[in-house]
Amino acid sequence: MTVGVEYYVLLSMALFSIGLFGVLTRRNALMFLMSVELMLNAANINLIAFAFYHGNLTGQVFALFAMALAAAEVAVGLGIILVLYRNFRDVDVTVPTTMRW
Amino acid sequence: MEGAFSYAPAIAAFPLAAFVVALTFGKWMPRKGAIAGIAATAGSLLFSLWMLAAVASGEVYHETLYEWTAGEAAGEVGDGIEFTFGILIDPLSALMLVIVSLVAFLVHIFSLGYMNAEGETGLPRYYAGLGLFTFSMLAFVYADNLLMAFMFFELVGLCSYLLIGFWFRTRSAPSAAKKAFLVTRFGDYFFLIGVVAIAATFGTVAFAGDDSFVAAAETAIADGDTLFGFDAQTWVTITGLLVLGGVLGKSAQFPFHTWLPDAMEGPTTVSALIHAATMVAAGVYLVARMFGYYALSPTALAIIAFVGGFTALFAATMGVVKDDIKQVLAYSTISQYGYMMLGLGVGGYVAGVFHLMNHAFFKALLFLGAGAVIILMHHEQDMWKMGGLKEKAPVTYYTFLAGALALAGIIPFSGFWSKDEILYDALIVGLNEPVIMAAYAMGLVAVFFTGFYTFRMVFLTFHGEPRSEAAEDPHPVGWAVKVPLLTLGVLALVAGVANLAPVAKILGVDIVFLEHWLDGEYGAVEGLTYSAYGELLAYETGVIGSEQLTILVAAGLSLLLAFSGAGLAWKLYNVPEPVAHKERLGSARRTIENNYYQDEYQVWLARGFTLPLSRAADRFDQTVIDGSVNGISTASLFGSSWVKRLQTGIVTNYAALIVAGFIALLVFLGVYGGWF
Repeated sequence: MTVGVEYYVLLSMALFSIGLFGVLTRRNALMFLMSVELMLNAANINLIAFAFYHGNLTGQVFALFAMALAAAEVAVGLGIILVLYRNFRDVDVTVPTTMRW
Repeated sequence: MEGAFSYAPAIAAFPLAAFVVALTFGKWMPRKGAIAGIAATAGSLLFSLWMLAAVASGEVYHETLYEWTAGEAAGEVGDGIEFTFGILIDPLSALMLVIVSLVAFLVHIFSLGYMNAEGETGLPRYYAGLGLFTFSMLAFVYADNLLMAFMFFELVGLCSYLLIGFWFRTRSAPSAAKKAFLVTRFGDYFFLIGVVAIAATFGTVAFAGDDSFVAAAETAIADGDTLFGFDAQTWVTITGLLVLGGVLGKSAQFPFHTWLPDAMEGPTTVSALIHAATMVAAGVYLVARMFGYYALSPTALAIIAFVGGFTALFAATMGVVKDDIKQVLAYSTISQYGYMMLGLGVGGYVAGVFHLMNHAFFKALLFLGAGAVIILMHHEQDMWKMGGLKEKAPVTYYTFLAGALALAGIIPFSGFWSKDEILYDALIVGLNEPVIMAAYAMGLVAVFFTGFYTFRMVFLTFHGEPRSEAAEDPHPVGWAVKVPLLTLGVLALVAGVANLAPVAKILGVDIVFLEHWLDGEYGAVEGLTYSAYGELLAYETGVIGSEQLTILVAAGLSLLLAFSGAGLAWKLYNVPEPVAHKERLGSARRTIENNYYQDEYQVWLARGFTLPLSRAADRFDQTVIDGSVNGISTASLFGSSWVKRLQTGIVTNYAALIVAGFIALLVFLGVYGGWF
């Protein structure tokens, strides 16, 4: 028995919404980064689900690339968070507001 | 004469080289640049004579030397226009080249006595100016198209400005220079518009050949074309009159004559070369150069004739009351150019050019003579302080007298023949055209005044008893002064031989050399001949009785008036102690002494009209134009000072905005894309 593609899409949608909610409400930079990861993975689920649905591997390969990209992004993101902490003694994303008018 | 014409560019190049040499090395040269100038103008003179001989042997030269720029855009008539520099040497320009280079050469020699010997400073600047002027004038003369002519027309104006303001430390000279520059520029403004109009209409600015604007205009009129919403003939008149603006400015014709008397602030040699013999002739020469164009438009010709006749009389009356010898000559110059315009305006192409030639000689002579008098008088120009120079300076006196007789038009001096021919041409046309008759009448009356002021000047300067210490003990003049005077004196006497038209017609002998010359008997560019112009002219000529009788009547009248003018001057001023007779003029005296308030009204025009107008324009610019520009920038500054608050610096807000924007986009696409 196979699971219908609509369930995967619903899962991915839920995951994305959770991630988006996190991005919009969390003030902790680490939480922020995690929420971004959630959104990325929601996209990955979609890619794999449709690859499976269509019966070819392109989407899965693409998901692999996206994961590698996410890893790189996390590295950069953590680096930024470290610098953020060094400068503000805090990882609250609402504190550094110097980059504005 | 094979290949003579390939040296034509050298005619103008020599003085240009002299200009550069005098400007850069003049300070270290023995005569401060004079030698370079003399050598250059002598070279130009020789080459010009060579060109004259080449044209006499039946050749002409019309060659484009350099293409400046070419366009694809077609004009109203004709196609792709080309702007070029080229040389046109035909009988008219060859003759003018000789006149200009001869006078320039003599003036350079005279300058040795007038400027160098008097220990002037700034001589390299002076000789550089003369060199540049001679270059531009010669290049103007053999320009083969209107645009090139315009450029050099402007350049001679610049040289005139520089040389009038030679003594720039005085108060009057810089002001006179500015006035000359501005007044002529005002005329040239119309000239420029005329050039553009002609170029845009006919797609060519060439003077000669099948693709000249003259030929194009002729075709357009013959075909009955409509140009820029006007009938072709009207449009030719309009453009012709626009070009005429430059002519009137440069040749000091009414109402643009006011600069010339002031231009006498420059050195007398400059007055002789530029403001009498050559540059002022540029305007008249231009009319002669494009005579075929004016011949197509009877209206333009009638205006030329009328303005000429009016100026001849108007300036002559002002010359009567002047006390400064150079002022008298300045007004006589304006008056004489009026005659030339009259001559050209009535279709007397030969007569006009003939008078141009004779005038160049005798007026240069008179100005150089006045320069000699100024040397004699230790730089005094007021004629009431002179007197009795006749015995002390015979060479100056007799040459000056020759010039004066030519100017007054006394037979057999050159001026008589040309002026008489102009008046004769005006008379025969005037018998059918009332406007021309009026112009003729004014020209005729001006003869009387010319005779009067000329001899008033001669008698006051040379006759009677010396009226000042300087006049009793004149400063001697050297060979450099006498040689040019003698040369020009001989020319003033004999130049009339070139075209003894009245004698030829009465006796039936063929002695009208200049007419044959300009008619292309020897060689000419097709279409640029006297007879070709004659065919274009729409004038009817009439005679009084018979042709011979008309000639005799015209000549007799002008001679009678010239003699009576001279005779009146003789009676009033040829006495040991002459006194001024101005009070006899009564109420007219003030008006004439103030030059008919011409300067006043022009100053009023500048101050009362142009200045407020430009102030208003300035205010419009400052408030409306600048105001709207400033208003736009203020509004955008104010707006952005609010919009910039959107950028909070908080990442979460940006994310929220991106999401909100994305949702808005989705909703928008959904609504308009028909998803719901």
